[in-house]
Amino acid sequence: MSLLHRIPFALRVPLFTAALMILVGFLASQQVLTTLRQVQDDRIRELAELQIEALSVALGPLVSRNDIWEVYDTLDRATGQNEGQRLVFAALANADGVVLAATNPRRAPVDSKIAKLTSGAQALNALSLTGETAEIKVLAPLVYQGREVGQILIEMNVSDLVAERTSVARLLLIGNAVVTLLLAILGYLAMRRILMPVTRVVARMRDSVDAPEPIAASDMPAGDSEMAQLAKSYNSMVGAIGAKAEADRRLAERERFVSLGRLSSSLAHEINNPLGGLLNAVDTVQKYVDRPEVVRESAELLKRGLGHMRDVARATLDLNRLNHEGAVLAADDFQDLKLLIEPEISRQQQRLGWEVGEITCVLPAAPVRQIALNLLLNATEAAGKEGLVSLKAQQGDGRLRIAISDSGPGLAKAACARLLGTGAAASGGGVGLRLVRDLVSQLKGCVSLDRADGETVIRVELPC
Amino acid sequence: MTQLTRRIVMQTMAAGLIASPLRAMAPFRLGLTPVFLDNDAEVIGRLREAFSEVLGVEVVLEQRRTYEEVTALLLEGSIDAAWLCGYPYLQHKAALSLMAVPVWNGQPLYQSYLIVGADSTANGLADLRGETHAYSDPDSNSGYLVTVSDLVSMGERPESFFGRTIFTYGHRNVVRAVADGLVQSGSVDGYVWEALAKTEPALTARTKVLTRSEWLGFPPFCGRSDQMNTPRMQAMQQAILTLDQTEKGRSALALLQLDGMTKAAPALYDGIAARMRIMDTLRP
Repeated sequence: MSLLHRIPFALRVPLFTAALMILVGFLASQQVLTTLRQVQDDRIRELAELQIEALSVALGPLVSRNDIWEVYDTLDRATGQNEGQRLVFAALANADGVVLAATNPRRAPVDSKIAKLTSGAQALNALSLTGETAEIKVLAPLVYQGREVGQILIEMNVSDLVAERTSVARLLLIGNAVVTLLLAILGYLAMRRILMPVTRVVARMRDSVDAPEPIAASDMPAGDSEMAQLAKSYNSMVGAIGAKAEADRRLAERERFVSLGRLSSSLAHEINNPLGGLLNAVDTVQKYVDRPEVVRESAELLKRGLGHMRDVARATLDLNRLNHEGAVLAADDFQDLKLLIEPEISRQQQRLGWEVGEITCVLPAAPVRQIALNLLLNATEAAGKEGLVSLKAQQGDGRLRIAISDSGPGLAKAACARLLGTGAAASGGGVGLRLVRDLVSQLKGCVSLDRADGETVIRVELPC
Repeated sequence: MTQLTRRIVMQTMAAGLIASPLRAMAPFRLGLTPVFLDNDAEVIGRLREAFSEVLGVEVVLEQRRTYEEVTALLLEGSIDAAWLCGYPYLQHKAALSLMAVPVWNGQPLYQSYLIVGADSTANGLADLRGETHAYSDPDSNSGYLVTVSDLVSMGERPESFFGRTIFTYGHRNVVRAVADGLVQSGSVDGYVWEALAKTEPALTARTKVLTRSEWLGFPPFCGRSDQMNTPRMQAMQQAILTLDQTEKGRSALALLQLDGMTKAAPALYDGIAARMRIMDTLRP
């Protein structure tokens, strides 16, 4: 079966046609040969009947007179010496089975038993040409005046009939072989033509590197056949795949914007919160300009607040440099993330667990930061007020393992599908999860989801 | 009348000068058997033409299978003359007269041959005991009488010496029966065997002559003694005797491989008569 399945479809059908033709040819040949055999059997039976009848008429009275010479002479003349003579041997025995005469007296001497010669002899009514024997033997009773007076044994040369049958069989074999071969070739060509659209679709699918190419309008099968429908369906599918890829791209873009939006809002808080303190410090400076220790203290405060704001701005800039090639992941990147997420944590009055080991592996910083940030943002949202959010980043066995957990109620089904599934992204639940999945798969990593002891853990493993 | 004068007279008759009465006569009937001639249509045709030409009347050749049948026809007068064997002639010597005797190899004599298959190891008649044997005709001298009289001379009983005997009613058939192996031996006319050796050498080559008899009188043309002096019979006799005088006659003789015809005295058949006497010893 596997061998059969390896044969191309365009070849399999003609082969099947050829096999059918061989079967039909074989059956037809058998039918022809059977009919020919019947015709030949009828013919030889008729000839044998005529011979026996003629010999009976001539020999009947001679047998009753026991006239050996006349019996011999009659048989001898009946067989004759002509080339192509049908009757090649004849022997006549009396009612006791004793040979009176035979055309070849040395083979069947006078007074010998005819039984010695009758082996393999056929009865007249069941006479049939069998095998390739050039001669057949017939044993028939000699009836004279309604009485069985002896037995006639004749041997007839049927080599011409056997040759005819052999020749017909050979012709049938050659004819069938030629016709079968021709039909197989025609079948192959026809099937190739019929299957051309399928072959084209297969080739297009095989050759497409990124996105499958649609079939050109000039190559589309005419009419409304299955093949035309197949080509149309293929082109529609190619279109749908393109549209989906575009939708995915847009979704990812949008998700980036969504996470950016969320981050911007946190950043606004992060800038806004110290801004009140900073403005108060400026007021204090203005109010106590003559008190140098107060001014110095306020300037220290201003410096710390502005320094924090500078750090936040830098971290945000780094995060948005997704295409920034060459930047390699380091422990500082996780510090940046902590800085970015802390405002959200404190806003929600959440506890943050943070454990980052030594990071020496070579991974691009930008996508890893994007992955971790998106997961952290989702975790803080899921954990809710006074919840627990934690991040663990460890390196080992050539892999970087990042685990982000929260004490939230767990991911909704749709969110799970976006994070783990490969199908079309369902809407709702979880921000940037599809982007996480895409980025992880670009880095040839994997994502898993666990829920235990009231904690949801999302683990990302990246080879490095 | 000398031989020459008679020939002239007969030739004149043949030329038709005094043949006119014959023309008004009924057809001349001559009996033949295939025992001797083997139904050779060409020979029979030539003979008929040759006789008809000389006699000036239609000659009908009456053929019968056996000597017995032809002899019976002759004796009852259904035929005018017959080419018989010396044996039936002698059997009916009182009623029959010799008209002419064929001359073969310069004399009106022939032999009987005892033949066997070419591969036979027999050395004489005695070696053939219990085997199959073909005679040509029970009224044939060469094809029957010679062998059975030899057996009698050997003290054998002819009817039981051979395992089986058959009659073929033809000397050529005897040769065929022996050549084909139907029988192991046969009694045949030596003249026929020699003639066949020239015309059908492949046939006689499959046989060989075991013994030859003494020279005996050649099968004669016979007529009824009571008719012999009629002009009709005289003319016929003359026609037979002068067969070599005409083209057609010579042609027929050539086919028969005979030299001509001659007159012969009954004493020519003394040899056959002697064998008949041997047979007589069998009779109770």
